[in-house]
Amino acid sequence: MKKIVMKFGGTSVGTGENIRHVADLVTKYAKDNKVAVVVSALAGVTNSLIETGCQAKKSDEKHIQTFTAELRKKHTDAISTAITSKAIQKEVAQITENTIAELEKVLTGICYVGEITPKSKDYVMSFGERLSAPIVWGAIKDHKAESQCFTGKDAGIVTNSNFGEADPLMNFTAHLIRERLSPLLEKNIIPVVTGFIAADQDGVVTTVGRGGSDYTATILGVALQVDEVWIWTDVDGIMTTDPKIVPSARMLPQLSYQEAAEMAIFGAKAMHPRALGPVSKENIPVRIRNTAHPENPGTLITKEPIANAKEAVKAVAMIKDVAMLNVYGAAMVGAPGSYAKVFDVLGKNSINVMMISAAASEANISMVIKRGLLGRAVSNLEIALQERGGIVSEVTTEDDVAVIAVMGANMKGTLGVASKIFSTVAKKGINIRMIAQGSSELNISFVVKEKDGAAVVRAIHEEFNLDKN
Amino acid sequence: MRIILVGYGVVGKGVTTILARRAMEKVSDYGFNPKIVAIADVDGAVINPRGLSPEKLEEIKKRGYPISADPDFGKKGISALEVIKTVEAEIVVEVTPVNIKNGEPAISHITEAFKTGKHVVTTNKGPLALAMPALTELAEYNNVYLRFSGTVGGGTPMLEFAKRCLAGDRILAIRGILNGTTNYILTEMSQNHVTFQDALANAQKLGYAEKEPSMDIDGFDTACKVVILANWIMNKKITLKDVDRTGIREVTLQQLQDAAKRNSTIKLIGSIEGDKAMVKPTEIPLTNPLCVSGVLNAITFSTEYAAEQTLIGRGAGGIETASAVLRDLLDIRRKLATKLLT
Repeated sequence: MKKIVMKFGGTSVGTGENIRHVADLVTKYAKDNKVAVVVSALAGVTNSLIETGCQAKKSDEKHIQTFTAELRKKHTDAISTAITSKAIQKEVAQITENTIAELEKVLTGICYVGEITPKSKDYVMSFGERLSAPIVWGAIKDHKAESQCFTGKDAGIVTNSNFGEADPLMNFTAHLIRERLSPLLEKNIIPVVTGFIAADQDGVVTTVGRGGSDYTATILGVALQVDEVWIWTDVDGIMTTDPKIVPSARMLPQLSYQEAAEMAIFGAKAMHPRALGPVSKENIPVRIRNTAHPENPGTLITKEPIANAKEAVKAVAMIKDVAMLNVYGAAMVGAPGSYAKVFDVLGKNSINVMMISAAASEANISMVIKRGLLGRAVSNLEIALQERGGIVSEVTTEDDVAVIAVMGANMKGTLGVASKIFSTVAKKGINIRMIAQGSSELNISFVVKEKDGAAVVRAIHEEFNLDKN
Repeated sequence: MRIILVGYGVVGKGVTTILARRAMEKVSDYGFNPKIVAIADVDGAVINPRGLSPEKLEEIKKRGYPISADPDFGKKGISALEVIKTVEAEIVVEVTPVNIKNGEPAISHITEAFKTGKHVVTTNKGPLALAMPALTELAEYNNVYLRFSGTVGGGTPMLEFAKRCLAGDRILAIRGILNGTTNYILTEMSQNHVTFQDALANAQKLGYAEKEPSMDIDGFDTACKVVILANWIMNKKITLKDVDRTGIREVTLQQLQDAAKRNSTIKLIGSIEGDKAMVKPTEIPLTNPLCVSGVLNAITFSTEYAAEQTLIGRGAGGIETASAVLRDLLDIRRKLATKLLT
């Protein structure tokens, strides 16, 4: 008997049928294990809530009516498919109705006041999970299992008041969650907890921001000292690369926390490093699994990878929609603080630098940033630093590039990985524009023209035999 | 630095010419790398977020109106307001025609630019004459700069001269010939003894005067400039209606001949002395440095310490006025650089 937190993402609870399937899975595993469930909002709901919330400040009440009507239909449809018992259907429908009535009031309030603050935005966003969790709860009860539904707040997740990106007061949270949920687990009652949302110490609704429901799941996992946290999603696990680029891409059976954090650049299909924070400290394994293929073991993320420890390279990713920014200036050479000035200007303009490379000659520094921010970055660097006597003599850009990131914990100390990567690229006749490797040696990133990106990913995937076990 | 150019008349064209010329010198000497990312006029706009190349700008100028006919970047029917709102840029250069009834559409353009965090350089007197205290406050509130050297004296740096070169001194009075058209007419009348009507017709033929000449000859243009000088240099919160204004329609050949006998002549003088802002045909001695002929402008600042300083130059013209826009852009660039580095 294991203790497991299971988190189900937006597509896993996208429709009534999917929710029914989720209940199947939960009750199946709950027979031999103690299970706590964390659920996301139905796919697309959180985004539409943000959109309507932001529009509410200028739109009329009519728009709100249309929106809530759609939302009501989406959820009642899900209820009628996910749950068979009329009594439970009615119970959940009543909760849905009350919740939507509350949402209507909130949106109308925003409409009248004409503004949406980070605080009220969190409140609006919380409705996605508050609507989805009761349906999952109802579906589980429909399977004749005992269950109880909680908001993140009621479950005991207490955060600071940093709305939109709140962090838990971990010890206090663990204390409350243990007090409230552990007794249920002991009695084999399945708690269903809303992901993403929590509350500050005054009980005001907050959201945990980046990492989302995964973060809630790992917080819960740590608080309940579970054996594993399972992240149920719509992919088999973390892949060696994007299967759209390399059809033979393989699922990775095992990764370390560090490696998994590096994989965050795979985007939505991976886990945000923030969500891995709590579990990596407590050494609680995380498993990524596919709701559509529960027979697959998925990717296991643990402290130390055990199997296949010889593989130096584990995955390769391409990051698109980026641009390269090159700053030249002879006056930067040997001048302490000159790089700081460059980054200070970018920072003041809220431009995040994704990758940096600077030669020991110090005469130029190359950076990779989001493509959409390129114009702002160039303008501000020129304005601030390019005057006669300034440290910058020229700023050039390339906006048709992509970053290729090659990852693997065992690259550390393995000789010849870099030379193998670069000779593979050279054999394809493709020019590398920029290179960066941190001294952690978990990752080598380089920049090529975007049109060559897919070919480079394929070549490296093949060269390192990533498609073979 | 990314620039949205609003208005593609003679000044707008001058701005594109000046920004393209000697580009490398601007970069190396001033760190100023201007990129025009959009030009908006009544028919629509040309938009390229990467900046329109000098070749493209030349092509647009050759094709003329409608500017939105550009095959690569033309966008027909988009309003200037929409362009200001949606295109990313640091600065809006507002050079639409003057309207002294309600200042539109320039006032809307300028306020929209402020709201979206863009600095504004304008050569348009209308918005300033009608709402200068309001606009300067709004700029300050939104933490952006509003610059308008081209509104007074064309390319002659009258505003900067007073504000910068005379810093620390106290300016007691300002008097000036601030309108080239009326000065041309009065010069013709006094030197060639032609009537007002003939001189006006001549000015219209030469393109110095508009078909509808009231703006110039009734002293509105001069009055606008008086308002800007009073606000910017003497810190008086006045608008157009506070200026006591008389034009040159009533000036006769007889009056000019009488003045000539006294070694004087009559000029349309805009002045600020004490609390009085005035535009009025005034007799001045021929020896007064203000007494310039033809379309020239001149301005005298009377100061507490440095006594009288007079500046003479051409007060209009596309390229001349565009040079004032360039100065304003460089000024804003320097101010931004200081801000970014502290």
